[in-house]
Amino acid sequence: MGYIKLSNITFTYNDDEKPIISDLSFCVDRGQCVLILGDNGSGKSTLLRILNGLSFPQSGEYLFDGEKITENCLKDNVKSKLFHKEIGFLFQNPDVMLFNAKVYDEVAFGPRQMGLSDDEVDRRTKDCMRMMGIEDLYDKAPYHLSGGQKKKVALASVLALNPSVLVLDEPFAGLDKKSETFLMDLLFELKESGKTLIIATHDEARLERLRDVSLRL
Amino acid sequence: MLPDWMKKSDNYAPPRDGGAFVVKTINSIGLVLSRLKVQRGHEKEHALPAVLKLFIVLSVIVLISVTQSRLLLIGVLAVTELYLSTWPAEDILSIVKACVFAAVLAFIIMLPAMILKPYGIGNNLIVILKVFLSVELMNIFNHTTQWNHITGALRKIHIPGIFVFTLDITLKYIVLLGTLINDLLTSLRLRSVGKNNKKYQSVGGVMGVTFMKSTEMSKEMYEAMVCRGFTDDYSGL
Repeated sequence: MGYIKLSNITFTYNDDEKPIISDLSFCVDRGQCVLILGDNGSGKSTLLRILNGLSFPQSGEYLFDGEKITENCLKDNVKSKLFHKEIGFLFQNPDVMLFNAKVYDEVAFGPRQMGLSDDEVDRRTKDCMRMMGIEDLYDKAPYHLSGGQKKKVALASVLALNPSVLVLDEPFAGLDKKSETFLMDLLFELKESGKTLIIATHDEARLERLRDVSLRL
Repeated sequence: MLPDWMKKSDNYAPPRDGGAFVVKTINSIGLVLSRLKVQRGHEKEHALPAVLKLFIVLSVIVLISVTQSRLLLIGVLAVTELYLSTWPAEDILSIVKACVFAAVLAFIIMLPAMILKPYGIGNNLIVILKVFLSVELMNIFNHTTQWNHITGALRKIHIPGIFVFTLDITLKYIVLLGTLINDLLTSLRLRSVGKNNKKYQSVGGVMGVTFMKSTEMSKEMYEAMVCRGFTDDYSGL
């Protein structure tokens, strides 16, 4: 049985329209890397929203670590928080992930809520910033950073939660060559450490060495 | 090089914390956005042209505003309610809510007059009924006509370009900024995995980012208009 299992998922935005995802089934084991491929409008981002419990399919079943994920189940405050702690989501547009006044506060936002000591929060925050190469942006306002820097801050703030699954929507979009290489190495390390990666991308060739499974929509 | 804590799983049990505000706000914004984006409402495939509907609605509103005939008012009310009764319950509710709100507001405004001159209560109630009917008719027009058809109809009846332009841009920005707020709040919700003692600070951050983004977008749009020959003269729009 897979860590993440979707069975016969069908999703439509409007009842009178053709489903954007129709009768989709797939299974992901712990530590695997799954590439979600498809043209624009094929339903990649919708599938990522379903995986993150932001949208719910009209039919089918979504199991995360053996637990059925439904709208009702996520109404439970504790279950919802635990689910979102375990599955980190990097949006395609990093602008929508940055709402704190300083980069440090942005990365520390998650750990500060987890009941960790101040020293531990500081250690996690600084580790993530160092890992992403953004230590020098410590007290900068996230809003005024470049697109690539914003993406790094957004990823650092997701990694600071230490999720077991990382769902990344077009992670290479807007990055320069150096940052692309850096991110690629980071993804390899994350996979080696046992993290499950689910990546929506157009660029199958770049992630060829990383992937275990491809899903074409 | 990954830090050690990232290589192992956290043994984490989240505390119970109120986060309903963010979820409710996301749902409300989502509802408004879906209405604005889809905006078909009850517009049928072969609906009356928007300009004709606008003309009829405005004419009826002018008629009920100037009439002294109670029979005419009751007739208009009966026809409108009969038409509304063919709609789904939730749409009827959303329209009636707005009308009742407007009628209550009119009642409050007229209350001093009703107290001071009790013999004129009948006339005051007619004014309230007129407010109710006018708001109901405009709401029905809004529900049965797409935004772009409404702005098109306004241009056809020679409403000044600057007014139509401002209305159109305002609606587009409501959708764009609403989507941004929705995504920011969703991101806030996804990362709120424990007890957030500074909820209002986070929501303030979302509002700040939205304000800055709106300023940036309006500046960029103005620059794009200048690049395409706009010279601060709205008359040609």
